[in-house]
Amino acid sequence: MTKKDELRGRLRALFPEESFGVDEAYRTGVAFSTRVPAERLRDAAEACNETGFYLESITGLDFQDTAELVYHLNCYEPKSRVALRVLLHHDQTLLTLSDIFPSALWLEREVHDFFGISFTEHPDLRPLLLPEDADYHPLQKAFGKVNAYHERKEIYG
Amino acid sequence: MAEPFAQPIVQHIYSLNLGPQHPSTHGVLRVLLDLDGEFIVKADPIVGYGHRGHEKMGENRAYKQFMPNTSRMDYLSGMIYNHGFALAVEKLAGIEVPLRAQYIREIRSELNRISSHLLWFGTYVMDLGGFTPFLYAFDDRENILDILDRVSGSRLTYSYCRFGGVNRDLDPNFVDTTRAFVARLRSRFPDYENMVTKNIIFINRTRDVGVITPELARQYAVTGPNLRACGIAFDTRKTEPYELYDRFDFEVPTGTRGDALDRYYVRMEEMVQSCRIIEQALDQLPDGPYRNTKVPFPLTPPKGEVYFAFESARGQAAYYLVSDGSECPYRCHIRVPSFGNLHVLTEVLRGTLVADAISILGSVDLVIPEIDR
Repeated sequence: MTKKDELRGRLRALFPEESFGVDEAYRTGVAFSTRVPAERLRDAAEACNETGFYLESITGLDFQDTAELVYHLNCYEPKSRVALRVLLHHDQTLLTLSDIFPSALWLEREVHDFFGISFTEHPDLRPLLLPEDADYHPLQKAFGKVNAYHERKEIYG
Repeated sequence: MAEPFAQPIVQHIYSLNLGPQHPSTHGVLRVLLDLDGEFIVKADPIVGYGHRGHEKMGENRAYKQFMPNTSRMDYLSGMIYNHGFALAVEKLAGIEVPLRAQYIREIRSELNRISSHLLWFGTYVMDLGGFTPFLYAFDDRENILDILDRVSGSRLTYSYCRFGGVNRDLDPNFVDTTRAFVARLRSRFPDYENMVTKNIIFINRTRDVGVITPELARQYAVTGPNLRACGIAFDTRKTEPYELYDRFDFEVPTGTRGDALDRYYVRMEEMVQSCRIIEQALDQLPDGPYRNTKVPFPLTPPKGEVYFAFESARGQAAYYLVSDGSECPYRCHIRVPSFGNLHVLTEVLRGTLVADAISILGSVDLVIPEIDR
């Protein structure tokens, strides 16, 4: 059994079937994505960690009505990338994943820099790429020049 | 009775700034080292000096206008980043690419990979005190830059790919010059081996230095030659074959110990494999159009997203593009391999000597502007 199928089984036990978006053709570059409620993200991350995945990237999306974090995880097998997607309010905080995936230490610092999303129990949330006295979050759509600012349903339906 | 002696201070931790302008950091990287004598207790890399906001720029310009930015993130493998961006947008918008263009892009990407590894080879050996190999490596690298320059008009920041092909066709000499170059480079490998690979000073400075174990690599999302050096044959060109990589016969070299010496072996062997890919591609290079002329302008991909991963010279890089159906991406995120490769050093450098830190920093092949973005 491939690791992505194993992970699928584990996540299916945790989350209802409608939270999965499967992409058999790998058109979006992920085998499947899972919509995870913010308070259960750590459960999902632990399942990924125990299956042998690594945390490849964390990034945010800023919409008018909501913020979203997308976690991409991958393992060393063909076409195995999976995504965890978390919707949150703009001022909501999230528990850190850095004790599960040490790579989250920096990835969460970067997300905090650019989107202003705070991670509780993160040991060191200093700015990573921005100046140390930065009090702005450049990738929020409210900052600087902005081409478009949509509600989430305008893109994802 | 004499006064008792003061208790000796058993531990005096002091801090040392390595960088941000240090010849061995290869870019504006500052590492704040906490030292106990000559041993590193804690290493805290400080990055961001070269932050230019590429992701924000990406959200505010049309897809095509972002192409010049892509070669400026990792300026040593600019062609590969161009190539990856073109592929990501083509996947998002469903654009067909003529076969000749695919071959051209792939040959140039592999040439770029060799040039990046050559630069790493030269500067790394120079960090360790060997000046001569640097001159040899730069001599070879100049040849590659000339070949790439003649077609695209630029030595490092190519902006050569277009959605649905490339900017312009190869010049008539390209195939012959590239063949001659590959033959010449092959004849140089024995020289490199005699100068460096068998050099006892080099071996002593790198063997068992900066060991990255497979578990550590997974925890810190290390990819590329650094991951392969610890024995995991993970290469995006094999696991998610893009462009034409599934047509060519090449191997993914791996190491066993995960130390600086294995990372060296892996990169040297990767150059040999890239030579093989280039030769096969040159043999098969078809005639035909070099660009799909039916790409709509302005380009407006349908709503949706794509996460496109590709193998840069330093590991797995990726573009994450979200389209809202307009000319500009709604979100343009770039996953860079050096990010994880530098982060793991917070763990690897602990307990090593300062002199080894220079060797380890060099051996993971960092490009700092790529991390800063």
